[in-house]
Amino acid sequence: MLVPLYGFLQGDTLGLVVLVQDHELVSEVAARLQDAATMRVAPGAHATVYCRGKQLDPALTVAAAGLTALDRVDVVMEKG
Amino acid sequence: MLKRDDWLDLARKLDWDFSYVEERDVFPEATSGNPWLPHEEWKDWNEPYRTTYADYVATQHTKEAHVRAVRETLGHAEDFQKLDAGWINSVKMHAATLPLAEFAAVVGNLRAARFGRDSAWRNAAAFGALDELRHTQIPLLLMHELIPWNVQFDWTHKFYHSNDWVAIAARHLFDELLLASNPIDFAIGANFVFETGFTNLQFVGLSAMARSAGDRMFETMVKSIQTDEARHAQIGPAVLRTIVSRDPAYAQYLVDKWFWRSWHLFAVLTGFSMDYLTPLSSRKSSFKEFMQEWVLDQFQRTLAEVGLQRPWYWEQFLESIETYHHMVYASAYTYRATVWFDFVLPGPEERAWLREKYPKTWDLLDPVWARITDRWRRSGPRVEWYTHGVTPVGFCNLCQLVLCGGTPRCNAAQTLALDGNNYIFCSEPCLWIFQKESERYANHKDVVKRILAGEAPANLLELLKYFGLTQESWGKDITVGAYPWLSGD
Repeated sequence: MLVPLYGFLQGDTLGLVVLVQDHELVSEVAARLQDAATMRVAPGAHATVYCRGKQLDPALTVAAAGLTALDRVDVVMEKG
Repeated sequence: MLKRDDWLDLARKLDWDFSYVEERDVFPEATSGNPWLPHEEWKDWNEPYRTTYADYVATQHTKEAHVRAVRETLGHAEDFQKLDAGWINSVKMHAATLPLAEFAAVVGNLRAARFGRDSAWRNAAAFGALDELRHTQIPLLLMHELIPWNVQFDWTHKFYHSNDWVAIAARHLFDELLLASNPIDFAIGANFVFETGFTNLQFVGLSAMARSAGDRMFETMVKSIQTDEARHAQIGPAVLRTIVSRDPAYAQYLVDKWFWRSWHLFAVLTGFSMDYLTPLSSRKSSFKEFMQEWVLDQFQRTLAEVGLQRPWYWEQFLESIETYHHMVYASAYTYRATVWFDFVLPGPEERAWLREKYPKTWDLLDPVWARITDRWRRSGPRVEWYTHGVTPVGFCNLCQLVLCGGTPRCNAAQTLALDGNNYIFCSEPCLWIFQKESERYANHKDVVKRILAGEAPANLLELLKYFGLTQESWGKDITVGAYPWLSGD
């Protein structure tokens, strides 16, 4: 099932709508958002995804992480 | 013959007691607004600068003659072609967003001309309606001649009839403020907040920049409009004082709501012009400095005079002056095909100027321009797509503008779950306004919800058609990436 998410990449100037499948991994959400914002923000190697203040396990699927349609996710590039 | 001052009050103050109908039936609360007060409470309503119809006609005739004279001398396509390309695109932006909003203001004024609670108020609103009609017609007339030269000027009339995201946002604001408001809400939201608070910035500030940019036609037009605005804006404080005395909480709410909503629109319109589209050599000061000079001081002083507080979000507002229009401009630059005007890529000199003007926040924003610049360098000129987004962007469920609140470090977006639906807002004040009147706003579909409902396409090229844009009319970089400084160093 398609899950549209509001994605906010740290360093970017706006929120984007990222379309992901519920069986895709949280790490793919981060990759998708970085790719969508690449003309404004250079992609980083280590990205962490947060939702409702909690860090999400990148190995979980979107469904297992509890993400539902039009949730807000924040992607932060960790240094190092 | 009686002198003007001997008969003016008789013409302005022509109220009477009703003998066979109730006052509430003549001025129903639904159309006259609340708090509903008997006329006794309104009978001392006065506007500081009074005018007669004869005065009005004579003054407007003189102003029309002046605009016509400047148009005949400097209002032709060949005159505009000599102007800076960035400035011309600033004119396109204003030309599209203002005229039919002014036409909507005709309706708001006419409602006040019938349902305003004192005859002097109704009289002033009737002049206001005539003013706004003029403000619709002048830009439509002036810009029409430019369409054969540049098709983007066609958006002067087309804009409000399109599904472009900016048009959706502007309609969301103006439909409520100008078309649907009762005379009390209109007087406080439009006459007091929008016109007294912001129109000075828009018209006085921009006319000065137009002069500096060599655009005497635009300067003349906005100056001519501003003199009308200054007269009918005086309806606002005169109504607000009565409402403050009877229902101060409601008066404060209307001010807080419309100040934030007006701020967002003006930040985009005026902020883009002053800090990006006006050539550096013509800039007198930054958008922030204009805000401080023309809006902040005057607005706070006026609020204090009528006994109101600054809006509760004042600190957030001060912070957003530093960042909001920069966030939107950088975002819109990388989605420039979604609008009807072209964009300027700020070069090293512009970025140094912005750093000087915005020392607290520019370091957060500059990396975005460094990245875009780097992409242009790598692609070379004319490869627009390499610095253009294709992923759908998120829109605020209140102001309908892009989610650009806060800073690149921390976006200020807020979420809300209500009645089984998820909503998102660009800022805390937008969330607050939505929650105050959720029954009014909850069912409005922003672009994202239209896409998800299958009413608008998700594919960018198809979405541009939905917005009413074509390859000829959609926005581009003004040099398509061929800046001399870009190929250097």
